[in-house]
Amino acid sequence: MIETTARRGGRPFGSAPAGLVLVALGVCAGAFPLRTAAQEERDSIPGVTLGLVYETESRPALAVMPFQAEPGLEDLAERVGAIVARDLRYSDRFEILDSLPQALAGTVDYQLWDQLGAVWLVTGRLEPDGDRVRLVLQLHDVVFGEIHEQRRYPLLSEDHPDFRMSVHVASDDVVESVTGDPGIAATRIAFSRRSLDGQTQDLFVIDSDGENLRRLTRHNTISLGPDWSPDGTRLVYTSFRPSIEEGRWGIFEIDLRSGEEREIRPNRAGQLGTPVYTPDGRRLAFSVRGSGRTGIFTYDLARDCCLQHVTGGNWEDLSPTFSPDGRWMAFNSSRLGTATPQIFVMPARGGEPDLVSPYLAGHRGYYTSPDWSPRGDLLAFHGRTGRFGRYQILVGDVSGEVGRLRRLTQLTWEGNNEDPSWAPDGRHLVFIGRRDWGTGLMIVDSATGEIRMLLRGVDVRVPDWSPPLRPEPRETLREGGF
Amino acid sequence: MTIRSLIVPAMAASLLLAACKKEPPPPPPAPTGPTPEEIAAQRRADSIRRERERQDSIRRAEEEARRREAERQRRIREARETLTEMVFFDFDESAIKPSEERKLRAKVDILRANPSIRLRLDGHADERGSTEYNLALGARRAEAVKEFFVGFGLDASRFTTQSFGEERPLVNRSDEEAWAQNRRVEFHITAGEIGVGENDRDRP
Repeated sequence: MIETTARRGGRPFGSAPAGLVLVALGVCAGAFPLRTAAQEERDSIPGVTLGLVYETESRPALAVMPFQAEPGLEDLAERVGAIVARDLRYSDRFEILDSLPQALAGTVDYQLWDQLGAVWLVTGRLEPDGDRVRLVLQLHDVVFGEIHEQRRYPLLSEDHPDFRMSVHVASDDVVESVTGDPGIAATRIAFSRRSLDGQTQDLFVIDSDGENLRRLTRHNTISLGPDWSPDGTRLVYTSFRPSIEEGRWGIFEIDLRSGEEREIRPNRAGQLGTPVYTPDGRRLAFSVRGSGRTGIFTYDLARDCCLQHVTGGNWEDLSPTFSPDGRWMAFNSSRLGTATPQIFVMPARGGEPDLVSPYLAGHRGYYTSPDWSPRGDLLAFHGRTGRFGRYQILVGDVSGEVGRLRRLTQLTWEGNNEDPSWAPDGRHLVFIGRRDWGTGLMIVDSATGEIRMLLRGVDVRVPDWSPPLRPEPRETLREGGF
Repeated sequence: MTIRSLIVPAMAASLLLAACKKEPPPPPPAPTGPTPEEIAAQRRADSIRRERERQDSIRRAEEEARRREAERQRRIREARETLTEMVFFDFDESAIKPSEERKLRAKVDILRANPSIRLRLDGHADERGSTEYNLALGARRAEAVKEFFVGFGLDASRFTTQSFGEERPLVNRSDEEAWAQNRRVEFHITAGEIGVGENDRDRP
């Protein structure tokens, strides 16, 4: 039985979760009636549900009390408290009650908070710790009337580039204590940006709360498509090395701690692209193009050797992405022989690929840029349904039988939307949104559909969301927990 | 060679002898003709006229040379323009359109006449679609042009290809007209000179 619920018009938010449709796409695609009207083609993707990936959940109210401080640290406490409150709001897990009167600081009246509807309460205090400052953060369970968790966090000094990161770590612990899922505050997004003359691109990073924009490279060429190493210390990316005779797209790795860069040069001629780390961080997977053929290869990073062919042919195979257990690989391929790319899933060590994007024969559906969620259950990509379609962010549920989507959800429906990348919580996505009202890096919560602008600008390109980051030195920060 | 080297000095010597034998000039004739002053004036005028004619002829020759050089330069320029004129593609496609095939045919003629010329073919895509797939599409477009040339018997080693995908738009706008101009292959001469000799004057 097939049921399509492509609900158009009207915002799908707030309505019942659109999880009613099971679509075995590979089998059923041909059974969908062909839509001929251009307008139909413009908007509806076969078998897609509009709206939310996860069932909407009620969001508990969490109050953030003004942070207390030892004398001399009051201003810093206010800034740190504001960072934590915003982090918790951006987690999209709570209704946040903040900007509370300073007079409330220091008093914890569970009955009062219970009456105000708060389920959780966060209090914080800054105290000196030798020549540094320490944040003591308490998470109160208002319902049970007790401290649920308390941890100490050494803060880096405010002029340290990772100062905010040392605060974000505390916010993420609150999220994880309450939900069991990792937070996204102590994360960054890497991307590239076009120069003013449009001729070059360099890599940048920005904190997930939109602060701390930093430029990483100055190469006077095109560098793009960054991918974070699983430990968050390195990025690989593609960069163009011009030459009169024949320019070359190569793969480079930058060490974020030292700033050092090196070129990854597998012993194979061709244009390289779309590099990603395998989930264990020991290998790279990337595409190689030469003499009209394109294939996906892996390469041993640590031993700097051992190029292995995974798939390829007389077409394009690009953009590999791995399931977190490393067993499966999704990628982009034009192997159907149509002028447009589709998404396939195959065993990571090679084997038969299965088509998973909602391909309809005769339509120019275009699906590309897959990113496998760190939870393993979802595959995000972007695409358009036909020749005139606009590009939307799609999320396929791959938690069932391999090579079959249990459900396909369209997360965006306005403007053009490209290049989704999952946050470590497997719930938020960063992407490039182009709207009438603005263009830039946007973040969507796939559980609520809420979108916020991370960085406005028409010059931003292909983002990648980092794994959880811990500021150095890590050990010191862990000490405070108990 | 030896004969010629003997003859030339011999001729020179006989000329010298002839000069020595010349009689001293006769006394001036009776003042029936022009006066010496008039003769001198006439000579001066003749010499000026001859000099003027000589210079005119030089100038004409120079002008002719300049005109020919300009014509040659114009032909080189035209050949260069024909050779580097961009070709454009349909949305999502790397197949060469009939309208663009004509442009490529004209290039084939120039490439045949100038076997030292080497070209770099830069493939580009419009901004729609993904960054990575557009890099592939740009590469495919450049390779399609190279295959066209090779299909006409040109040596494949004369062409290199590279792709910029959607990264270097020609027109930085987001509308159909801009997209159509951005889906292109550019031609860059990386080696060789375009020669347009006398033989080329009657070429079509």
